Amino acid sequence: MKKTTTKKRSILKNKTLIIGCGRLGSSMANKCAAERKNIIVVDKDADAFDRLADTFGGFTIAGDSTDLSILEEAHISSAKEVIITTGDDNVNLYLAHVARKIYDVPEIYVRLDNPENEVLLKGLNVKAIFPFELSYDKFNLLRGGHK
Amino acid sequence: MKIVIAGGYQAADYIIKKFKSKQNKLIVINSKREIAQYLTKSNQIPVFYGEPYKYFVLDEANVEDADIFIALGNVDTDNFVSCLLAKKVFNAKKCICTVNNPKNVRLYRELGIDSVVSSTQLLATSVLSESSIEDLIKTMSLENEQIVLTEVVIKPNYDIANKRIMDINFPKQGNISCVYRKPNVIIPNGSTMILPKDKLLVVSTPKYQRDIIAFIQKSK
Repeated sequence: MKKTTTKKRSILKNKTLIIGCGRLGSSMANKCAAERKNIIVVDKDADAFDRLADTFGGFTIAGDSTDLSILEEAHISSAKEVIITTGDDNVNLYLAHVARKIYDVPEIYVRLDNPENEVLLKGLNVKAIFPFELSYDKFNLLRGGHK
Repeated sequence: MKIVIAGGYQAADYIIKKFKSKQNKLIVINSKREIAQYLTKSNQIPVFYGEPYKYFVLDEANVEDADIFIALGNVDTDNFVSCLLAKKVFNAKKCICTVNNPKNVRLYRELGIDSVVSSTQLLATSVLSESSIEDLIKTMSLENEQIVLTEVVIKPNYDIANKRIMDINFPKQGNISCVYRKPNVIIPNGSTMILPKDKLLVVSTPKYQRDIIAFIQKSK
């Protein structure tokens, strides 16, 4: 398994763990870093970290997040929040279950492209973000504004 | 029985052939068009084309209240979500999830999947039991490999042969649960005598298996 640590590892308390460094994950990481939060970003593709700003001061770990050893390397058990943003709904759903049932992270946010998948988070106390619905709401708002 | 077979190629084909009967209602779902066509042709049954981790596919295939839901897809997380959907939304009684990564067996069970199968893990277990320490010892593991059953045949030169169990000071980490002395099966107590050619069935944790075998095989 490909597994590299590009920056020095250390145990961070009160950190935010971001899984998936696509457009959504990387922009969240950049925002959080600007707010001087402690951040660890995980992505299976090391090239994805190119999306991070030059000023990004967090840690990056390249590896498959569905492998528990990678999550542990990212110290998931001491994270105060985890934001799951990979491009695969099934991976995201699975990681949400792992984060809640195995590590019980206090705050869990998960991106889901398919709104139908929300039922699979029932009773899990996980907050879901639906980019599609957000765009749709925005569209309605914009159209309403031009009436 | 209502059995749902989601994904898979040869494995799906095999399971369909094995369970196709009047008593069983099979529902087959596959996300690859060519495989779906092949399965239809080879087994003369309808195959639903679509991804089994999507709500509308399972809904259309009418999988509600299945007795067994088997996820045979190539991607572990896809299988996980298929099983979750079948269990939580479609009320499947039992879900079986196949995985590539053997580490996921325990994990997925912890996450609430009834039964998780990894061919790699089965292979490893079978290699272990085939090659166990010496050829006269057979082992079998239970409960996720937390318990092992070891079968040992007693030879006349062993120290414990012709002694009572209460006198041999058997290690506390194991228990002689059964003695097979042709043609009888004896459930032993302290006063049971161990005789040459007896077959002992010992229950222990994997950690102490070697120690216990060494104890039994100690020569006079």
